[in-house]
Amino acid sequence: SQSIAGCQAAELQSKVVPSKQILHSDNMEMEPETMETKSVTDYFSKLHMGSLVYSCTSKRKTK
Amino acid sequence: HVRYRMEASCLELALEGERLCKAGDCRAGVSFFEAAVQVGTEDLKTLSAIYSQLGNAYFYLHEYAKALEYHHHDLTLARTIGDHVGEAKASGNLGNTLKVLGNFDDAIVCCQRHLDISRELNDKVGEARALYNLGNVYHSKGKNVACAGTHDPGELPDEVKAALQKAADYYEENLTIVTELGDRAAQGRAYGNLGNTHYLLGNFRSAVIAHEQRLLIAKEFGDRAAERRAYSNLGNAYIFLSEFETASEYYKKTLQLARQLKDRAVEAQACYSLGNTYTLLQDYEKAIDFHLRHLTIAQELNDRIGEGRACWSLGNAYTALGNHDQAMHFAEKHLEISREVGDRSGELTARLNLSDLQMVLGLSYSINNSMISEIHAVDNSLDGARPRVGRRHSMENMELMKLTPEKIQNWN
Repeated sequence: SQSIAGCQAAELQSKVVPSKQILHSDNMEMEPETMETKSVTDYFSKLHMGSLVYSCTSKRKTK
Repeated sequence: HVRYRMEASCLELALEGERLCKAGDCRAGVSFFEAAVQVGTEDLKTLSAIYSQLGNAYFYLHEYAKALEYHHHDLTLARTIGDHVGEAKASGNLGNTLKVLGNFDDAIVCCQRHLDISRELNDKVGEARALYNLGNVYHSKGKNVACAGTHDPGELPDEVKAALQKAADYYEENLTIVTELGDRAAQGRAYGNLGNTHYLLGNFRSAVIAHEQRLLIAKEFGDRAAERRAYSNLGNAYIFLSEFETASEYYKKTLQLARQLKDRAVEAQACYSLGNTYTLLQDYEKAIDFHLRHLTIAQELNDRIGEGRACWSLGNAYTALGNHDQAMHFAEKHLEISREVGDRSGELTARLNLSDLQMVLGLSYSINNSMISEIHAVDNSLDGARPRVGRRHSMENMELMKLTPEKIQNWN
């Protein structure tokens, strides 16, 4: 039951150090996730509205 | 004509959403993407890109349920239109989101799909990224199961070991590809997480080797956040190798960078680690100094859990120095905070410490100080009875600072 209590305590997120009753001096630092990216501009060539897209982007540039 | 105007408006909104997200303002980006969805488009690839970016924006905003929803829409759409690259990407993103939500089995299925499609398309970059994601899922899975108990690294149930070993294998496979591709940034990420996986597996020498590589690459890129992470992880590994002096040097570098990066929470973590390291080095004055610094920042950040932990550590260090009045003060604060945050096991620890201290203080008032040194002698004799090395040993050194050995037995 002590480990359950310990885990409940661990769920209370500390901003500073992870909550564990055993004295862990460490806080393992992970590398960031990589997400796959898509962009609407990837598909411009597939759209049959090139002139419209052109007008959109040029309008944006003049803003 | 109306449809064309609608399509243009949708694209315009989506482009603004992209621009805002790239500039780091995901919250504003989300509004534009959602407006774009409201306007709608008949071009399903554009819609897929909008869903994907909405999913990622919500992911970075830590709104994972929303992220899941949009990555799922993206996946369905990509499949419908037979866009294989799009399907692979959506699967990867869905996998990462499921991982964060703790649904590891489904996360594995999705990341595996990302991997399979990338291999079918002979897309090496996609393959490497999928391998990294799979490594991350297995690492999280292992860590999650390990968290349910109170194991030290290296003392793990078979299920946890198997998951962590898989993670290490995927990171290694990823490393082979990204090394071939000459992608140093990806190598840096893989080395960092591989190092942490070795650390949990108890392969501390291998952990050091990986984190040293990570450090080297971080310096190449001038990436100070990654450099700081590497120092901190190296410190942790050296603690387990019982090389406390080396660990303290790395933690000091972490602290220095945390200050430069003006990250108070990380600075506090470094102070806490240094406090613990100096406790292991039995330099209690320095330990107190760092734990007090940690306490100050925890109070500043209104972090009651961190504050409680600081009080507990300070109580232990003052006890080791024989300053029982200060020890009592911090044990009382520890009890108060443990009650407030509902930390039952912390409350129990605090009560045990307080009753020990009350006994010592009572005895020292009525008899004399020699009683205290006698109790210390009893504690020190325990040291020889527990000759195990590494962290477990260090933890016990810390527990020896509690005064009555019988209670240590009960507590354990």
